Amino acid sequence: MRIFYKKGGGAIQLIDKEKMLEWPVELPLIFIEYIRNNQLKLYEDTRVQKEVEAYLDEILKDVAIPRLISVLEGDDLEEIILALTRIEEISNKNIEMINPIKPYLEKLSNIENKQIEKLIQNISTQFQKAERKKELAKKRKVMREKEKLFLEGKINGEEYAKARKEYLTLKD
Amino acid sequence: MAKKSKNQDLDLKAAKMLFNEYLERGREEKPIDLPKGTVKIDDLKRKQALEKLYKLVDDIIRKIYATGRPSITLPSRTSSNIIWDEENDLLLLGEQIMEKQFHSLTSVADITRLMRVLEKVNELLIKDLHATKREIFYSDVKLFQDQKNSDKSIEDVATMLYTTRNSTHIVASAKGSCIGRLRIRDKNDIIDLEGLGSGGWTISPMLDNIEIIESDAEFILVVEKDAAMIRLSEDRFWRKYPCIILTAKGAADIATRMFLRRLNKDLNLPVFSLVDSDPYGHYIHSVYLRGSKRLSYESPFLATPEIKLLGVLTRDLDKYKVPKDCRLPMNKMDIKRTKELLNEDFVKNNKQWEQDLKLALNLKIKAEIQALSSHGFEFLTDQYLPEKLTTGDWI
Repeated sequence: MRIFYKKGGGAIQLIDKEKMLEWPVELPLIFIEYIRNNQLKLYEDTRVQKEVEAYLDEILKDVAIPRLISVLEGDDLEEIILALTRIEEISNKNIEMINPIKPYLEKLSNIENKQIEKLIQNISTQFQKAERKKELAKKRKVMREKEKLFLEGKINGEEYAKARKEYLTLKD
Repeated sequence: MAKKSKNQDLDLKAAKMLFNEYLERGREEKPIDLPKGTVKIDDLKRKQALEKLYKLVDDIIRKIYATGRPSITLPSRTSSNIIWDEENDLLLLGEQIMEKQFHSLTSVADITRLMRVLEKVNELLIKDLHATKREIFYSDVKLFQDQKNSDKSIEDVATMLYTTRNSTHIVASAKGSCIGRLRIRDKNDIIDLEGLGSGGWTISPMLDNIEIIESDAEFILVVEKDAAMIRLSEDRFWRKYPCIILTAKGAADIATRMFLRRLNKDLNLPVFSLVDSDPYGHYIHSVYLRGSKRLSYESPFLATPEIKLLGVLTRDLDKYKVPKDCRLPMNKMDIKRTKELLNEDFVKNNKQWEQDLKLALNLKIKAEIQALSSHGFEFLTDQYLPEKLTTGDWI
């Protein structure tokens, strides 16, 4: 077990990530979500919470994603559908978690299977949404900087209007 | 009764110290070195068990071809072949071997039953299924006639394969339950043992499907009786004092003992038992501690040698002022059983335990856990257990 010592005594014990190598492919992700959503807030000690968070990321990087990738690279369509279904669920909650899988999705789009096509479509939509969100944040930052400069009289109205237009266009 | 302390003083200091000690030491834990002259039994994975089974059958076939008078050998399970390993505090099987011949008239039924069980084990392992001892009996009632016969063959098969019964996928019916600060995996499901209502989780006999995945418990409490479990459960004892509670509802069954051992080993948690203050309660504690004679070949997989006897001790009856009318007089059988326990090496080697049993024998009294409720229903959870776990008052 991986042990996390609490400040005032006591400890949290979580299963070693090596043991998860033999789990069903989707289970490490379910475990990560379970601990994040149900247990983490109960640990009280913020240092322990951070350490557990880091361990969960480690599991994601070292076990959960590589295992999913190994399934996506395989030939078993049933397993691929099961894995994609889990990936789709995660993409709705936290798209960043499945970033390493992106290149494999593109390869899978060659497979002629309606269920797989639909799942890939849904996941790709989540990626596009996330990309747009990122872009929007970038434009918003630029627009705010320009706004500040405009109010200070350092740039003209035309330049500020251009930045604002770019932001609003993307937002719409 | 010990002077009533304020609840905030009952910080379980002694139990926590033991937990920290175990955590530190746990990282260096080595596998048990069995003494010379004892049989080594392995807990096998499905594939390994199948390989061993095929090798055994191949040997039998080879013998038939070579001699025409085949026989099988297996470690004897008679009491003369049961050895107490003092160092590891376990009951183990010695190296005495018995031979079962295929060609004598008296052994025909015995051998046929044995081979039928082998056939069933093969089927279970191939299909990755589990069956209870009762199901094995019903798979061929005509042949087995009585469940005692099929049970004996099942134990023979396990010893022939030098493995635990669970490795043969023949399991005992579920009996025990567990509740508290623990999360487990049962195949594809994550189970939270805090969120299953007051009944807790029924300990699965298919422990090869179970894995401990998370816990913030600091100790394990094993209670003899369901009544005490209900009290602890109603009080949500584990919320205030981070622990895992389990009961076998009386005598300790295999699944409960195996699960307790797994918890103790995986989580390095100290284990305390709460049993009746009578020879049966003490015997139940001893079975958790070192295993039963009948299943001595599985002891290393079933015993929890570090379990502490928390209570109810005979000395507690005066200390906690249990009223005289809540104490029961010992009958002849209790006295006989207590004397038998006092004759056991493992009791003789534990002076505190010996003293407590001698005190019971002197006073000729016994008491149930429920006798503590003479001070109120919450006395067990608010006072007795926290105080003992704080002061380290255990054997």
